[in-house]
Amino acid sequence: MSEPTFQASERRVRLSVDESVYDLDVIMGAAYLFIDRCYVYLDREADRRVSVVLRTREATTEAALEQLAGHFANELLNQALRKNIGEANAKIREFVMARALFSAEGPSTIDKLLAELDAEEMATDDLDIPVPWEKPPGA
Amino acid sequence: MNTALAVDPATLDREKVGFFRYALVGEKVLLTNDAGEHLFLSPGDFRRFIAGQIGPEDALYEPLRRRYFFRHDFDAHALADKIRRKKAFLSHGPHLHAIVTSLRCNMSCKYCHASRTGMEAVDTDMPLDVARKAVDFAFRVPTPVLGFEFQGGEPTVNWSAIEFIVDYALEKNRYEKKELIFSVVTNLTFMTDEKVKFLLDKGVMICTSLDGPADLHDQNRGMTGKGSSYAAVDEWMAKINAEYVRRGRDPDLFHVDALMTTTRASLSRGKDIVDEYVRRGLRSVHLRPLNPFGFAVNTWKLIGYSMPEFLEFYRRTLDYIIEQNRRGTFIQERMASVFLTKMLTPDEPNYSDCRSPCGSGSAQLAYSYDGNIYTDDEGRMAAHMGNDFFRIGHVDTSSVDEVLRHPTVKALAVASIQDALPACHSCAFKPSCGIQPLHNYMFDGDIFGQRPLSRKCQEFYGVQQYLYELLSRDADGSLERIFRRWTIQRSRPGTIPYVPPGEANA
Repeated sequence: MSEPTFQASERRVRLSVDESVYDLDVIMGAAYLFIDRCYVYLDREADRRVSVVLRTREATTEAALEQLAGHFANELLNQALRKNIGEANAKIREFVMARALFSAEGPSTIDKLLAELDAEEMATDDLDIPVPWEKPPGA
Repeated sequence: MNTALAVDPATLDREKVGFFRYALVGEKVLLTNDAGEHLFLSPGDFRRFIAGQIGPEDALYEPLRRRYFFRHDFDAHALADKIRRKKAFLSHGPHLHAIVTSLRCNMSCKYCHASRTGMEAVDTDMPLDVARKAVDFAFRVPTPVLGFEFQGGEPTVNWSAIEFIVDYALEKNRYEKKELIFSVVTNLTFMTDEKVKFLLDKGVMICTSLDGPADLHDQNRGMTGKGSSYAAVDEWMAKINAEYVRRGRDPDLFHVDALMTTTRASLSRGKDIVDEYVRRGLRSVHLRPLNPFGFAVNTWKLIGYSMPEFLEFYRRTLDYIIEQNRRGTFIQERMASVFLTKMLTPDEPNYSDCRSPCGSGSAQLAYSYDGNIYTDDEGRMAAHMGNDFFRIGHVDTSSVDEVLRHPTVKALAVASIQDALPACHSCAFKPSCGIQPLHNYMFDGDIFGQRPLSRKCQEFYGVQQYLYELLSRDADGSLERIFRRWTIQRSRPGTIPYVPPGEANA
C-alpha cells in the first residue's frame, strides 16, 4: 500500500492521496472526523489524486503537524476497513434489519421485503443456487 | 475519536467477518454491533480476527460467534430478534406528556431552562378548559402507558390545574384502562401538607432540583426575594419521605427524586454533590451539563464551561460514585445507567434524549399553558426564546394524527437516524448512543449539526468512552457487577388504585 505523501508548513499540513488506493468517500469520511481539530480543505490536484490540507486552529509545531498527518493516514485506513466491512455485509444487514423492524407488521410485509431481497440476491447469483440439483444444467 | 489504531483494509476476510463497528478504547479494541453486543480484543487479536485467522479451536471464537461478529457462523434470526427488542419503542406513540401548568416562578435560577415569568404574570397559568383538552388529547395517543409530567415555571403555583388534571385523567382512565404515571417537577417552595396528601394519595411522584450542598444550591438557584431555596428542599424532602415511610412504602422506591444541573461552580464540588445525595438516601444522581436553553444562553459567560472541563468533572465524580458503591453504598449516576442499560442488557431504556430516532414528538409531547403543543419540553422552551419552529399543534384545533405526522416531527426523526448520519453510522458507540436534534439546532441553527463539533456528541462520546475504558480494565468483573446493578430499574408498583371522590371511606 502506498504511503500518502505530506508537506508541513506553518499551521498547515498537506497530504496527497491516491484515489486508486482510497475511494473519495473514504477520504471524505476521514476528513469529516477531523473538523473538530482543524480546518479541512479538499482539492483535486490531478487525475485520481486528491489534495487534503489540514489547517490547525491555533499555532502549532512541525512535530504536531506530522503527527496530525499520521493520524489522518491512520484514519484513511480505518475508513477503508469500515467501508469494506459494510460492503461485505450489506445484503445480510438488509435482511436482518428488515426482519427486525418490519416483521411485527405482519407476514405480508416481511414476506414481500424478503422476496425483494431474495430477488436482488438471485439477480447476481452466478452459481444458480436456486436451481434444483437434480435438474441438469441448461435443462 | 482515537485514530492511533491502523489495520490494513486489504487483509479483511470478507467471507468470515460479520458487520461490526470498532474503536480503540484504552489499550484494547472495542467491537460493537446493532444488537448492543460488545467485546474487547487486543490489537493483535483484532488483526487476526479481521484476517479470518480465528477458528473454532481458538478461545476467542465462541465469544465472537455468540455476539454475532462472524459472517459465516451466526443466527440471523436471533440477531434480528435482538435488534427488534432494542427498537421496541418504535411501535408506540408518545408516552410522556409534559404539561406546563404555569410559566410563573418565584426563583431566578442562573441557568433556568424554562424561561419563566414573574409571579405577577397570572396570564401564563393554564386555564382548566385547556388542561381538560390536553388530557383528552393525550388519551387519544396510541400508547398503553401515559405519563403526565407537570412542568413550569413552577407548576405548583397553578395548583388547581394539577388537581384537575390528575383527577380528570384518573376518571377518564376508569374506561380507558391505560397505565398512568404522574410526576411533578417542583422547587417545593409552595408545598403544603394538604398538597403532599393529594400527591401521595393520587400516586403523583415528586421530583425536585438539588444542585448540591446549601451554598452551591443557593448560589445556582436563588430566590427572587429573600430566603434560601435549599431550606425548602431540605424541609419538604424530609417531610415527604417520612410520609412515604409512614404509609408503609418502600423508601428505596418511594421518595422525592432530585435532579442537579452542573454550573461552573459545581465543577470542583463533585464529591460534595454526591455526599449530599447519599446523605439524603437518594439512589441516583444525574450529572447533567448545562443546556443552551433559556436564561443559560445569557449567563453562559458566568456559569458555562467547555465540554472537556465537564467531562473531567464527570470522570472524577463517577470515580467517586463507584468508590461509594464498592464501600457498600448504592448510588448510581443516571446518564451512566442509561448508557450501561444499552451496553450490558438486551433492553433499551427509551431515554428520549438518547435514542435513534429521537423521541421528540414520537416519545414525548409538551403542552404549553396556552394549549400549544410542542415536540418536547425543549421545543417549548425554544418557542419562549422566540422560535416557534417546534410547535406542532394546538389542543383546540389539531388531531393526534396531524401532530404525530407533523413535518417537524418527521424532520427531527430523519435528523436523528444514526445509520444515515456521517460519523454516527460508523461510530463504535452508535448502538448505545442517540441524538437530540434540538440540541444541534440550539447550538448550530441546524437540526443535523456536524457531529465532531456537536457539544452533545462530545458529551455522549466522552461518557461512553470512559465507561468502556473502565469496563476494559475490569479484570475481576467487580465493576461490571456494580454497573449491572445500575441497569436494574425496579418499577414502582403502578399508580394507586383510583377511588372516586366521596368513595374513599365507602
